Amino acid sequence: MSDAVALRPPRTLPLGLVLILIPLALAIAGLAIRYLAYAATVPDASIASFAQGMCRWDCSWYVKLSQTGYDPFPVPTMINAGNWAFFPLYPILVAIVRTLTGLQTIVAATGLSIMLCIASARVAWPLLGKDLRAYTLFSAFLVAGPFSIWLTTFYTEVLFLFLTLCVFAALQKRQFLLAGLFAALLSATRIVGVFIVFAILIEIWQAHRANGGNWRDFIPAVLKRPELLLALFIAPLGLFAYMAYLHFHIGDALAFSHVQRAWSRPSGLPPVFVWNALTSFPREGWVPTPSQQLAVAVIVGYALSIVLLVKKRYGMAVYSLICLTLPLFAGMASVLRFTAALAPMPLMLTELLASRRWLFAVALLGLLAGGYFTTIGWLTGYLSLV
Amino acid sequence: MSSTLRLGAYLLCGIVALFELGVVWLMLHPNVPPDYRAYYIDKTTTCLNQPVSGSYKLGTTVRFTPEDKDAAKLIRVCGLEGPTGDGNHAVGTSARLRFVYAEPATALTLQLAMVAIQKAGAIVPQRVEIVANGTLLDTVSLNAPAPQRFALPLVAPADGKLELELRFPDAVPMGPTDPDNRLRSIKLISAALLPADQV
Repeated sequence: MSDAVALRPPRTLPLGLVLILIPLALAIAGLAIRYLAYAATVPDASIASFAQGMCRWDCSWYVKLSQTGYDPFPVPTMINAGNWAFFPLYPILVAIVRTLTGLQTIVAATGLSIMLCIASARVAWPLLGKDLRAYTLFSAFLVAGPFSIWLTTFYTEVLFLFLTLCVFAALQKRQFLLAGLFAALLSATRIVGVFIVFAILIEIWQAHRANGGNWRDFIPAVLKRPELLLALFIAPLGLFAYMAYLHFHIGDALAFSHVQRAWSRPSGLPPVFVWNALTSFPREGWVPTPSQQLAVAVIVGYALSIVLLVKKRYGMAVYSLICLTLPLFAGMASVLRFTAALAPMPLMLTELLASRRWLFAVALLGLLAGGYFTTIGWLTGYLSLV
Repeated sequence: MSSTLRLGAYLLCGIVALFELGVVWLMLHPNVPPDYRAYYIDKTTTCLNQPVSGSYKLGTTVRFTPEDKDAAKLIRVCGLEGPTGDGNHAVGTSARLRFVYAEPATALTLQLAMVAIQKAGAIVPQRVEIVANGTLLDTVSLNAPAPQRFALPLVAPADGKLELELRFPDAVPMGPTDPDNRLRSIKLISAALLPADQV
Protein backbone atom coordinates (compact mmCIF):
# COMPACT_ATOMS: atom_id res chain seq x y z
CA MET A 1 0.00 0.00 0.00
CA SER A 2 2.68 2.48 1.00
CA ASP A 3 6.26 2.76 -0.06
CA ALA A 4 7.09 4.59 3.16
CA VAL A 5 9.68 2.87 5.26
CA ALA A 6 8.29 1.74 8.58
CA LEU A 7 9.72 4.00 11.21
CA ARG A 8 9.64 2.34 14.55
CA PRO A 9 11.43 3.85 17.51
CA PRO A 10 13.21 1.63 19.99
CA ARG A 11 10.60 0.50 22.48
CA THR A 12 10.02 -1.76 25.38
CA LEU A 13 6.20 -1.88 25.15
CA PRO A 14 4.58 -4.39 22.78
CA LEU A 15 3.57 -2.77 19.49
CA GLY A 16 -0.07 -3.73 19.95
CA LEU A 17 -0.17 -1.81 23.23
CA VAL A 18 1.65 1.18 21.76
CA LEU A 19 -0.92 1.33 18.97
CA ILE A 20 -3.70 1.62 21.54
CA LEU A 21 -1.88 3.95 23.93
CA ILE A 22 -1.06 6.57 21.28
CA PRO A 23 -4.67 7.36 20.25
CA LEU A 24 -5.83 6.88 23.82
CA ALA A 25 -3.37 9.44 25.17
CA LEU A 26 -4.21 11.81 22.34
CA ALA A 27 -7.93 11.31 23.00
CA ILE A 28 -7.41 12.42 26.61
CA ALA A 29 -5.31 15.37 25.41
CA GLY A 30 -8.00 16.22 22.86
CA LEU A 31 -10.72 16.19 25.51
CA ALA A 32 -8.61 18.50 27.67
CA ILE A 33 -7.92 20.86 24.73
CA ARG A 34 -11.57 21.06 23.73
CA TYR A 35 -12.66 21.53 27.32
CA LEU A 36 -10.17 24.38 27.80
CA ALA A 37 -11.55 26.06 24.67
CA TYR A 38 -15.09 25.39 25.88
CA ALA A 39 -14.33 26.89 29.30
CA ALA A 40 -12.71 29.92 27.67
CA THR A 41 -15.73 30.51 25.43
CA VAL A 42 -18.89 29.49 27.25
CA PRO A 43 -20.05 31.30 30.39
CA ASP A 44 -20.75 28.95 33.33
CA ALA A 45 -18.97 26.09 31.59
CA SER A 46 -18.86 22.83 33.52
CA ILE A 47 -17.78 19.27 32.82
CA ALA A 48 -21.40 18.19 33.22
CA SER A 49 -22.51 20.48 30.41
CA PHE A 50 -19.46 19.90 28.17
CA ALA A 51 -20.85 17.14 25.92
CA GLN A 52 -24.13 18.97 25.39
CA GLY A 53 -22.33 22.28 24.90
CA MET A 54 -20.21 20.84 22.10
CA CYS A 55 -23.31 19.57 20.28
CA ARG A 56 -24.02 22.17 17.60
CA TRP A 57 -25.83 22.36 14.25
CA ASP A 58 -26.60 18.92 12.78
CA CYS A 59 -25.57 17.26 16.05
CA SER A 60 -28.93 18.30 17.55
CA TRP A 61 -30.73 16.63 14.65
CA TYR A 62 -28.87 13.40 15.28
CA VAL A 63 -29.66 13.52 19.01
CA LYS A 64 -33.36 13.92 18.30
CA LEU A 65 -33.30 11.26 15.57
CA SER A 66 -31.63 8.82 17.91
CA GLN A 67 -34.26 9.50 20.57
CA THR A 68 -37.48 9.68 18.58
CA GLY A 69 -36.77 8.08 15.21
CA TYR A 70 -37.81 9.33 11.80
CA ASP A 71 -40.46 12.00 11.30
CA PRO A 72 -43.81 11.06 9.79
CA PHE A 73 -45.35 13.29 7.12
CA PRO A 74 -46.51 15.94 7.81
CA VAL A 75 -43.71 16.60 10.29
CA PRO A 76 -45.30 17.08 13.74
CA THR A 77 -43.40 20.33 14.32
CA MET A 78 -44.88 21.59 11.04
CA ILE A 79 -41.62 22.37 9.31
CA ASN A 80 -40.67 21.34 5.78
CA ALA A 81 -37.36 19.80 6.83
CA GLY A 82 -38.15 16.25 7.90
CA ASN A 83 -35.18 14.36 9.33
CA TRP A 84 -35.12 11.84 6.47
CA ALA A 85 -31.90 13.34 5.11
CA PHE A 86 -29.97 11.90 8.05
CA PHE A 87 -28.91 8.30 7.51
CA PRO A 88 -29.81 5.76 10.16
CA LEU A 89 -26.85 3.60 11.15
CA TYR A 90 -25.06 5.90 13.59
CA PRO A 91 -28.21 7.13 15.37
CA ILE A 92 -29.21 3.46 15.77
CA LEU A 93 -25.82 2.56 17.26
CA VAL A 94 -26.00 5.49 19.68
CA ALA A 95 -29.54 4.47 20.68
CA ILE A 96 -28.24 0.96 21.44
CA VAL A 97 -25.36 2.33 23.56
CA ARG A 98 -27.73 4.71 25.36
CA THR A 99 -30.13 1.86 26.13
CA LEU A 100 -27.34 -0.41 27.36
CA THR A 101 -25.62 2.23 29.52
CA GLY A 102 -28.48 4.47 30.60
CA LEU A 103 -26.39 7.51 29.67
CA GLN A 104 -27.77 10.70 28.14
CA THR A 105 -27.88 10.47 24.34
CA ILE A 106 -25.15 13.06 23.76
CA VAL A 107 -22.89 11.52 26.42
CA ALA A 108 -23.35 8.04 24.91
CA ALA A 109 -22.65 9.49 21.45
CA THR A 110 -19.53 11.32 22.63
CA GLY A 111 -18.15 8.18 24.26
CA LEU A 112 -18.94 6.03 21.24
CA SER A 113 -17.45 8.59 18.85
CA ILE A 114 -14.17 8.72 20.78
CA MET A 115 -14.01 4.91 20.84
CA LEU A 116 -14.65 4.82 17.11
CA CYS A 117 -11.84 7.33 16.58
CA ILE A 118 -9.43 5.12 18.51
CA ALA A 119 -10.63 2.08 16.58
CA SER A 120 -10.25 4.04 13.33
CA ALA A 121 -6.64 4.81 14.13
CA ARG A 122 -5.97 1.14 14.84
CA VAL A 123 -7.63 0.04 11.59
CA ALA A 124 -5.60 2.66 9.69
CA TRP A 125 -2.24 1.28 10.91
CA PRO A 126 -1.61 -0.96 7.88
CA LEU A 127 -3.03 1.69 5.53
CA LEU A 128 -0.43 4.15 6.85
CA GLY A 129 2.39 1.83 5.85
CA LYS A 130 2.86 0.89 9.55
CA ASP A 131 4.64 4.20 10.02
CA LEU A 132 4.48 5.25 13.65
CA ARG A 133 4.88 8.95 12.92
CA ALA A 134 2.02 8.92 10.41
CA TYR A 135 -0.01 6.84 12.87
CA THR A 136 0.54 9.43 15.61
CA LEU A 137 -0.45 12.29 13.34
CA PHE A 138 -3.49 10.39 12.09
CA SER A 139 -4.56 9.68 15.67
CA ALA A 140 -4.07 13.33 16.63
CA PHE A 141 -6.07 14.38 13.57
CA LEU A 142 -9.00 12.25 14.70
CA VAL A 143 -9.18 12.83 18.44
CA ALA A 144 -7.42 16.12 19.12
CA GLY A 145 -7.17 17.98 15.82
CA PRO A 146 -9.25 20.80 14.38
CA PHE A 147 -11.93 18.45 13.09
CA SER A 148 -12.40 16.56 16.35
CA ILE A 149 -15.36 18.89 16.92
CA TRP A 150 -17.28 16.63 14.53
CA LEU A 151 -15.49 13.35 15.06
CA THR A 152 -15.92 13.27 18.85
CA THR A 153 -19.47 14.63 19.21
CA PHE A 154 -22.58 13.28 17.45
CA TYR A 155 -21.99 13.49 13.76
CA THR A 156 -22.20 10.56 11.40
CA GLU A 157 -18.72 11.40 10.06
CA VAL A 158 -16.84 9.33 12.62
CA LEU A 159 -18.66 6.11 11.73
CA PHE A 160 -18.35 6.99 8.05
CA LEU A 161 -14.58 7.38 8.43
CA PHE A 162 -14.24 4.21 10.51
CA LEU A 163 -16.19 2.06 8.04
CA THR A 164 -14.34 3.53 5.07
CA LEU A 165 -11.06 2.53 6.72
CA CYS A 166 -12.46 -0.95 7.39
CA VAL A 167 -13.34 -1.33 3.70
CA PHE A 168 -9.88 -0.25 2.54
CA ALA A 169 -8.14 -2.39 5.18
CA ALA A 170 -10.14 -5.40 3.97
CA LEU A 171 -9.34 -4.56 0.35
CA GLN A 172 -5.64 -4.30 1.19
CA LYS A 173 -5.83 -7.93 2.33
CA ARG A 174 -7.93 -8.82 -0.72
CA GLN A 175 -10.82 -9.80 1.57
CA PHE A 176 -13.45 -8.64 -0.88
CA LEU A 177 -16.49 -10.14 0.79
CA LEU A 178 -15.56 -8.53 4.11
CA ALA A 179 -15.05 -5.23 2.28
CA GLY A 180 -18.53 -5.64 0.78
CA LEU A 181 -20.03 -6.19 4.24
CA PHE A 182 -18.38 -3.03 5.61
CA ALA A 183 -19.49 -1.18 2.48
CA ALA A 184 -23.09 -2.21 3.14
CA LEU A 185 -22.84 -0.62 6.59
CA LEU A 186 -21.13 2.41 5.08
CA SER A 187 -23.98 2.95 2.64
CA ALA A 188 -26.37 3.09 5.61
CA THR A 189 -24.21 5.79 7.22
CA ARG A 190 -23.97 8.47 4.53
CA ILE A 191 -25.32 8.51 0.99
CA VAL A 192 -21.91 8.88 -0.64
CA GLY A 193 -20.80 5.70 1.11
CA VAL A 194 -22.56 3.75 -1.60
CA PHE A 195 -19.91 4.83 -4.11
CA ILE A 196 -17.25 2.77 -2.38
CA VAL A 197 -18.52 -0.01 -4.60
CA PHE A 198 -16.33 1.53 -7.31
CA ALA A 199 -13.27 1.22 -5.08
CA ILE A 200 -14.10 -2.45 -4.53
CA LEU A 201 -14.53 -2.95 -8.27
CA ILE A 202 -11.18 -1.26 -8.96
CA GLU A 203 -9.42 -3.44 -6.38
CA ILE A 204 -11.02 -6.55 -7.89
CA TRP A 205 -9.75 -5.41 -11.30
CA GLN A 206 -6.26 -4.80 -9.93
CA ALA A 207 -6.23 -8.26 -8.34
CA HIS A 208 -7.39 -9.69 -11.67
CA ARG A 209 -4.59 -7.86 -13.49
CA ALA A 210 -2.04 -9.00 -10.93
CA ASN A 211 -3.09 -12.59 -11.71
CA GLY A 212 -2.41 -12.04 -15.39
CA GLY A 213 -5.99 -11.31 -16.42
CA ASN A 214 -7.08 -8.76 -19.01
CA TRP A 215 -10.23 -6.78 -19.71
CA ARG A 216 -11.66 -9.44 -22.01
CA ASP A 217 -11.81 -12.14 -19.37
CA PHE A 218 -12.59 -9.81 -16.44
CA ILE A 219 -16.36 -10.21 -16.37
CA PRO A 220 -16.27 -14.03 -16.84
CA ALA A 221 -13.64 -14.22 -14.09
CA VAL A 222 -15.83 -12.23 -11.69
CA LEU A 223 -18.90 -14.29 -12.58
CA LYS A 224 -16.98 -17.44 -11.77
CA ARG A 225 -16.25 -16.18 -8.24
CA PRO A 226 -19.55 -15.74 -6.40
CA GLU A 227 -17.88 -14.15 -3.38
CA LEU A 228 -16.77 -11.26 -5.61
CA LEU A 229 -20.24 -10.90 -7.06
CA LEU A 230 -21.71 -10.99 -3.59
CA ALA A 231 -19.30 -8.28 -2.40
CA LEU A 232 -20.46 -6.00 -5.20
CA PHE A 233 -24.15 -6.74 -4.68
CA ILE A 234 -24.20 -6.27 -0.92
CA ALA A 235 -22.11 -3.06 -0.95
CA PRO A 236 -25.16 -0.79 -1.53
CA LEU A 237 -27.47 -2.89 0.67
CA GLY A 238 -27.51 -0.36 3.53
CA LEU A 239 -28.79 2.35 1.24
CA PHE A 240 -31.42 0.07 -0.29
CA ALA A 241 -32.59 -1.05 3.16
CA TYR A 242 -32.99 2.59 4.23
CA MET A 243 -34.85 3.37 1.01
CA ALA A 244 -37.22 0.47 1.62
CA TYR A 245 -37.81 1.72 5.16
CA LEU A 246 -38.56 5.25 3.91
CA HIS A 247 -41.04 3.91 1.36
CA PHE A 248 -42.98 2.02 4.00
CA HIS A 249 -42.65 4.87 6.54
CA ILE A 250 -43.68 7.88 4.44
CA GLY A 251 -44.22 6.48 0.95
CA ASP A 252 -41.10 7.87 -0.71
CA ALA A 253 -37.92 5.81 -0.99
CA LEU A 254 -36.04 8.91 -2.12
CA ALA A 255 -37.21 11.11 0.76
CA PHE A 256 -33.60 11.52 1.91
CA SER A 257 -32.89 13.26 -1.39
CA HIS A 258 -36.20 15.03 -1.97
CA VAL A 259 -36.13 16.63 1.47
CA GLN A 260 -33.02 18.58 0.47
CA ARG A 261 -35.49 21.03 -1.11
CA ALA A 262 -36.49 22.12 2.38
CA TRP A 263 -32.92 23.25 3.04
CA SER A 264 -33.10 25.41 -0.08
CA ARG A 265 -29.79 24.17 -1.37
CA PRO A 266 -28.78 25.70 -4.68
CA SER A 267 -27.97 23.48 -7.62
CA GLY A 268 -25.26 24.07 -10.17
CA LEU A 269 -21.87 23.03 -11.45
CA PRO A 270 -19.07 22.35 -8.93
CA PRO A 271 -16.41 24.46 -10.70
CA VAL A 272 -18.76 27.46 -10.65
CA PHE A 273 -19.47 27.07 -6.94
CA VAL A 274 -15.76 26.64 -6.13
CA TRP A 275 -14.75 29.63 -8.24
CA ASN A 276 -17.47 31.85 -6.73
CA ALA A 277 -16.36 30.80 -3.24
CA LEU A 278 -12.69 31.32 -4.00
CA THR A 279 -13.30 34.83 -5.34
CA SER A 280 -15.53 35.81 -2.44
CA PHE A 281 -12.93 38.19 -1.01
CA PRO A 282 -13.28 39.81 2.42
CA ARG A 283 -14.69 43.33 2.34
CA GLU A 284 -11.97 44.45 4.72
CA GLY A 285 -8.87 42.90 6.25
CA TRP A 286 -6.97 39.92 4.98
CA VAL A 287 -8.63 36.99 6.79
CA PRO A 288 -10.14 34.68 4.15
CA THR A 289 -13.92 34.56 4.15
CA PRO A 290 -15.70 31.33 5.19
CA SER A 291 -16.47 30.75 1.48
CA GLN A 292 -12.79 31.00 0.62
CA GLN A 293 -11.88 28.61 3.42
CA LEU A 294 -14.39 26.09 2.06
CA ALA A 295 -12.97 26.49 -1.42
CA VAL A 296 -9.46 25.85 -0.10
CA ALA A 297 -10.72 22.68 1.63
CA VAL A 298 -12.09 21.44 -1.70
CA ILE A 299 -8.88 22.27 -3.55
CA VAL A 300 -6.77 20.51 -0.90
CA GLY A 301 -9.11 17.53 -1.22
CA TYR A 302 -8.63 17.36 -4.99
CA ALA A 303 -4.86 17.82 -4.61
CA LEU A 304 -4.70 14.89 -2.18
CA SER A 305 -6.81 12.81 -4.56
CA ILE A 306 -4.26 13.49 -7.30
CA VAL A 307 -1.46 12.42 -4.96
CA LEU A 308 -3.41 9.19 -4.34
CA LEU A 309 -3.62 8.67 -8.10
CA VAL A 310 0.10 9.30 -8.50
CA LYS A 311 0.78 6.76 -5.77
CA LYS A 312 -1.44 4.32 -7.71
CA ARG A 313 -4.01 4.01 -4.95
CA TYR A 314 -6.72 4.07 -7.57
CA GLY A 315 -9.56 2.79 -5.42
CA MET A 316 -9.06 5.48 -2.80
CA ALA A 317 -8.51 8.17 -5.41
CA VAL A 318 -11.64 7.41 -7.42
CA TYR A 319 -13.76 7.07 -4.29
CA SER A 320 -12.42 10.40 -2.97
CA LEU A 321 -13.04 12.21 -6.23
CA ILE A 322 -16.65 10.99 -6.28
CA CYS A 323 -17.24 11.88 -2.63
CA LEU A 324 -15.70 15.32 -3.06
CA THR A 325 -17.49 16.15 -6.28
CA LEU A 326 -21.07 14.98 -5.75
CA PRO A 327 -21.92 17.23 -2.77
CA LEU A 328 -20.56 20.20 -4.71
CA PHE A 329 -23.51 20.04 -7.11
CA ALA A 330 -25.54 21.45 -4.20
CA GLY A 331 -23.10 24.20 -3.31
CA MET A 332 -20.32 24.58 -0.78
CA ALA A 333 -22.26 23.88 2.41
CA SER A 334 -20.43 21.55 4.82
CA VAL A 335 -17.66 20.69 2.33
CA LEU A 336 -14.97 21.20 4.96
CA ARG A 337 -16.60 18.52 7.11
CA PHE A 338 -17.11 16.21 4.14
CA THR A 339 -13.47 16.58 3.07
CA ALA A 340 -11.95 16.21 6.53
CA ALA A 341 -13.92 13.04 7.27
CA LEU A 342 -13.18 11.39 3.96
CA ALA A 343 -10.73 8.76 5.19
CA PRO A 344 -8.26 8.78 2.26
CA MET A 345 -7.74 12.53 2.81
CA PRO A 346 -6.32 12.40 6.36
CA LEU A 347 -4.54 9.14 5.49
CA MET A 348 -2.68 10.76 2.63
CA LEU A 349 -2.16 14.07 4.41
CA THR A 350 -0.68 12.54 7.56
CA GLU A 351 1.50 10.22 5.49
CA LEU A 352 2.95 13.28 3.71
CA LEU A 353 3.38 15.24 6.92
CA ALA A 354 5.15 12.32 8.60
CA SER A 355 7.82 12.12 5.91
CA ARG A 356 10.23 14.45 7.79
CA ARG A 357 10.85 14.52 11.49
CA TRP A 358 10.64 18.32 11.76
CA LEU A 359 7.51 18.40 9.63
CA PHE A 360 5.98 15.77 11.88
CA ALA A 361 6.68 17.89 14.97
CA VAL A 362 5.27 21.04 13.39
CA ALA A 363 2.21 19.18 12.13
CA LEU A 364 1.52 17.60 15.51
CA LEU A 365 1.72 20.97 17.26
CA GLY A 366 -0.40 22.51 14.53
CA LEU A 367 -3.07 19.84 14.92
CA LEU A 368 -3.24 20.29 18.69
CA ALA A 369 -3.33 24.09 18.44
CA GLY A 370 -5.91 23.77 15.65
CA GLY A 371 -8.02 21.62 17.97
CA TYR A 372 -8.16 24.49 20.47
CA PHE A 373 -8.89 27.32 18.06
CA THR A 374 -11.36 25.36 15.94
CA THR A 375 -13.31 24.47 19.06
CA ILE A 376 -13.58 28.17 19.85
CA GLY A 377 -14.72 28.83 16.26
CA TRP A 378 -17.21 25.98 16.58
CA LEU A 379 -18.69 27.33 19.79
CA THR A 380 -18.87 30.90 18.52
CA GLY A 381 -20.64 29.83 15.31
CA TYR A 382 -17.90 30.32 12.75
CA LEU A 383 -19.59 29.70 9.43
CA SER A 384 -17.12 27.54 7.53
CA LEU A 385 -17.38 24.88 10.25
CA VAL A 386 -21.12 24.25 9.83
CA MET B 1 -14.79 -22.83 -2.03
CA SER B 2 -16.99 -25.94 -2.00
CA SER B 3 -19.73 -26.33 -4.59
CA THR B 4 -22.41 -26.04 -1.89
CA LEU B 5 -20.92 -22.76 -0.70
CA ARG B 6 -20.67 -21.50 -4.25
CA LEU B 7 -24.30 -22.38 -4.88
CA GLY B 8 -25.30 -20.65 -1.63
CA ALA B 9 -23.32 -17.54 -2.59
CA TYR B 10 -24.95 -17.39 -6.03
CA LEU B 11 -28.36 -17.85 -4.39
CA LEU B 12 -27.62 -15.03 -1.97
CA CYS B 13 -26.54 -12.80 -4.86
CA GLY B 14 -29.88 -13.50 -6.52
CA ILE B 15 -31.85 -12.69 -3.37
CA VAL B 16 -29.93 -9.45 -2.78
CA ALA B 17 -30.33 -8.44 -6.43
CA LEU B 18 -34.07 -9.13 -6.29
CA PHE B 19 -34.40 -7.08 -3.11
CA GLU B 20 -32.51 -4.18 -4.68
CA LEU B 21 -34.63 -4.37 -7.85
CA GLY B 22 -37.72 -4.35 -5.67
CA VAL B 23 -36.52 -1.19 -3.92
CA VAL B 24 -35.85 0.42 -7.29
CA TRP B 25 -39.46 -0.36 -8.22
CA LEU B 26 -40.63 1.24 -4.95
CA MET B 27 -38.41 4.24 -5.67
CA LEU B 28 -40.11 4.72 -9.03
CA HIS B 29 -43.58 4.43 -7.48
CA PRO B 30 -43.82 6.76 -4.49
CA ASN B 31 -47.04 6.57 -2.53
CA VAL B 32 -47.32 10.05 -1.05
CA PRO B 33 -50.02 12.68 -0.41
CA PRO B 34 -50.54 15.36 -3.11
CA ASP B 35 -48.99 18.08 -0.91
CA TYR B 36 -45.83 16.02 -0.49
CA ARG B 37 -45.60 15.29 -4.19
CA ALA B 38 -46.15 18.92 -5.19
CA TYR B 39 -43.48 20.32 -2.87
CA TYR B 40 -40.76 17.66 -2.71
CA ILE B 41 -41.05 15.64 -5.93
CA ASP B 42 -42.73 17.66 -8.70
CA LYS B 43 -41.61 20.99 -7.20
CA THR B 44 -44.74 22.67 -8.55
CA THR B 45 -45.11 24.71 -5.36
CA THR B 46 -42.72 26.40 -2.97
CA CYS B 47 -45.37 26.42 -0.24
CA LEU B 48 -45.83 23.10 1.58
CA ASN B 49 -49.29 22.91 3.10
CA GLN B 50 -48.83 22.45 6.86
CA PRO B 51 -51.75 21.25 8.99
CA VAL B 52 -52.05 24.38 11.15
CA SER B 53 -55.39 24.72 12.89
CA GLY B 54 -56.15 28.20 11.51
CA SER B 55 -57.77 29.01 14.86
CA TYR B 56 -58.84 32.65 14.67
CA LYS B 57 -61.32 35.08 16.22
CA LEU B 58 -63.05 37.30 13.67
CA GLY B 59 -62.08 40.94 14.03
CA THR B 60 -58.63 40.24 15.49
CA THR B 61 -55.57 41.73 13.82
CA VAL B 62 -52.68 39.26 13.76
CA ARG B 63 -49.29 40.96 13.68
CA PHE B 64 -46.34 39.00 12.38
CA THR B 65 -43.98 40.33 15.02
CA PRO B 66 -41.97 38.41 17.64
CA GLU B 67 -44.46 39.52 20.31
CA ASP B 68 -47.46 38.14 18.40
CA LYS B 69 -45.80 35.04 16.98
CA ASP B 70 -47.97 32.53 18.86
CA ALA B 71 -51.16 33.91 17.31
CA ALA B 72 -49.47 34.10 13.90
CA LYS B 73 -48.28 30.49 14.15
CA LEU B 74 -51.90 29.28 14.29
CA ILE B 75 -52.80 30.77 10.90
CA ARG B 76 -49.43 30.66 9.11
CA VAL B 77 -49.59 27.70 6.71
CA CYS B 78 -46.45 28.09 4.61
CA GLY B 79 -44.25 30.38 2.55
CA LEU B 80 -43.49 32.75 5.42
CA GLU B 81 -40.29 32.97 7.40
CA GLY B 82 -39.50 34.84 10.57
CA PRO B 83 -40.55 36.93 12.43
CA THR B 84 -37.87 39.42 11.44
CA GLY B 85 -38.35 42.86 12.93
CA ASP B 86 -41.90 43.99 12.20
CA GLY B 87 -43.06 41.09 10.06
CA ASN B 88 -42.57 37.78 8.24
CA HIS B 89 -40.67 37.55 4.97
CA ALA B 90 -42.45 35.65 2.22
CA VAL B 91 -40.16 33.00 0.71
CA GLY B 92 -40.91 31.36 -2.61
CA THR B 93 -43.59 32.15 -5.14
CA SER B 94 -46.58 32.00 -2.81
CA ALA B 95 -47.58 32.06 0.86
CA ARG B 96 -50.71 30.85 2.60
CA LEU B 97 -52.75 31.80 5.65
CA ARG B 98 -55.64 29.80 7.12
CA PHE B 99 -58.51 31.34 9.06
CA VAL B 100 -60.95 29.08 10.89
CA TYR B 101 -63.49 31.00 12.95
CA ALA B 102 -66.67 30.22 14.84
CA GLU B 103 -68.45 33.59 14.73
CA PRO B 104 -71.38 33.94 12.32
CA ALA B 105 -70.74 36.31 9.41
CA THR B 106 -72.08 36.90 5.92
CA ALA B 107 -69.67 39.52 4.62
CA LEU B 108 -66.05 40.09 5.57
CA THR B 109 -63.26 42.50 4.89
CA LEU B 110 -59.74 41.16 4.53
CA GLN B 111 -57.11 43.61 5.75
CA LEU B 112 -53.48 43.08 4.89
CA ALA B 113 -50.40 45.20 5.59
CA MET B 114 -47.35 44.39 3.46
CA VAL B 115 -44.19 45.99 2.21
CA ALA B 116 -42.12 45.17 -0.87
CA ILE B 117 -38.59 43.91 -0.26
CA GLN B 118 -35.49 45.91 -0.99
CA LYS B 119 -32.52 44.60 -2.91
CA ALA B 120 -29.19 46.44 -2.93
CA GLY B 121 -30.89 49.33 -1.15
CA ALA B 122 -33.64 49.78 -3.73
CA ILE B 123 -37.32 48.83 -3.59
CA VAL B 124 -38.24 45.92 -5.86
CA PRO B 125 -41.88 46.62 -6.87
CA GLN B 126 -44.15 43.63 -6.36
CA ARG B 127 -47.56 42.55 -7.50
CA VAL B 128 -49.43 40.34 -5.08
CA GLU B 129 -52.31 38.17 -6.27
CA ILE B 130 -54.70 37.63 -3.40
CA VAL B 131 -56.66 34.40 -3.70
CA ALA B 132 -59.38 33.42 -1.23
CA ASN B 133 -60.58 29.81 -1.24
CA GLY B 134 -59.29 29.41 -4.79
CA THR B 135 -60.86 32.61 -6.19
CA LEU B 136 -58.74 35.59 -7.19
CA LEU B 137 -59.90 38.57 -5.12
CA ASP B 138 -57.55 41.20 -6.43
CA THR B 139 -54.02 41.92 -7.57
CA VAL B 140 -52.37 44.69 -5.56
CA SER B 141 -49.14 46.54 -6.24
CA LEU B 142 -46.45 47.30 -3.68
CA ASN B 143 -43.90 49.93 -4.57
CA ALA B 144 -43.38 52.07 -1.47
CA PRO B 145 -40.66 51.80 1.16
CA ALA B 146 -43.26 51.89 3.98
CA PRO B 147 -45.90 49.20 4.62
CA GLN B 148 -49.01 49.52 2.48
CA ARG B 149 -52.46 48.55 3.73
CA PHE B 150 -55.21 46.93 1.68
CA ALA B 151 -58.85 46.22 2.52
CA LEU B 152 -60.71 43.77 0.30
CA PRO B 153 -64.37 42.79 0.70
CA LEU B 154 -65.31 39.14 0.37
CA VAL B 155 -68.28 36.89 0.97
CA ALA B 156 -67.89 35.00 4.22
CA PRO B 157 -67.38 31.26 3.60
CA ALA B 158 -70.35 29.26 4.82
CA ASP B 159 -68.17 26.80 6.74
CA GLY B 160 -66.13 29.48 8.55
CA LYS B 161 -62.91 28.44 6.84
CA LEU B 162 -60.88 30.76 4.65
CA GLU B 163 -57.76 29.59 2.85
CA LEU B 164 -55.87 32.67 1.77
CA GLU B 165 -53.11 32.44 -0.81
CA LEU B 166 -50.76 35.27 -1.68
CA ARG B 167 -48.99 34.77 -5.01
CA PHE B 168 -45.86 36.69 -5.91
CA PRO B 169 -45.31 36.77 -9.69
CA ASP B 170 -42.46 39.31 -9.31
CA ALA B 171 -40.49 37.47 -6.61
CA VAL B 172 -36.73 37.77 -7.10
CA PRO B 173 -33.66 35.81 -6.02
CA MET B 174 -31.44 37.63 -3.53
CA GLY B 175 -28.34 35.63 -4.49
CA PRO B 176 -27.14 34.21 -7.82
CA THR B 177 -27.77 30.58 -6.85
CA ASP B 178 -30.97 30.93 -4.82
CA PRO B 179 -33.51 28.18 -5.61
CA ASP B 180 -37.19 29.00 -6.19
CA ASN B 181 -38.16 28.46 -2.57
CA ARG B 182 -35.75 31.22 -1.49
CA LEU B 183 -37.21 33.89 -3.79
CA ARG B 184 -38.12 37.09 -1.96
CA SER B 185 -41.05 39.41 -2.62
CA ILE B 186 -42.79 40.98 0.38
CA LYS B 187 -42.77 41.25 4.11
CA LEU B 188 -46.15 40.56 5.67
CA ILE B 189 -46.80 42.93 8.58
CA SER B 190 -50.34 42.06 9.67
CA ALA B 191 -53.55 40.34 8.59
CA ALA B 192 -57.13 40.55 9.77
CA LEU B 193 -60.58 39.33 8.81
CA LEU B 194 -63.18 41.82 9.92
CA PRO B 195 -66.96 41.37 9.86
CA ALA B 196 -68.23 43.90 7.31
CA ASP B 197 -70.20 45.79 9.98
CA GLN B 198 -67.00 46.45 11.97
CA VAL B 199 -65.20 48.20 9.14
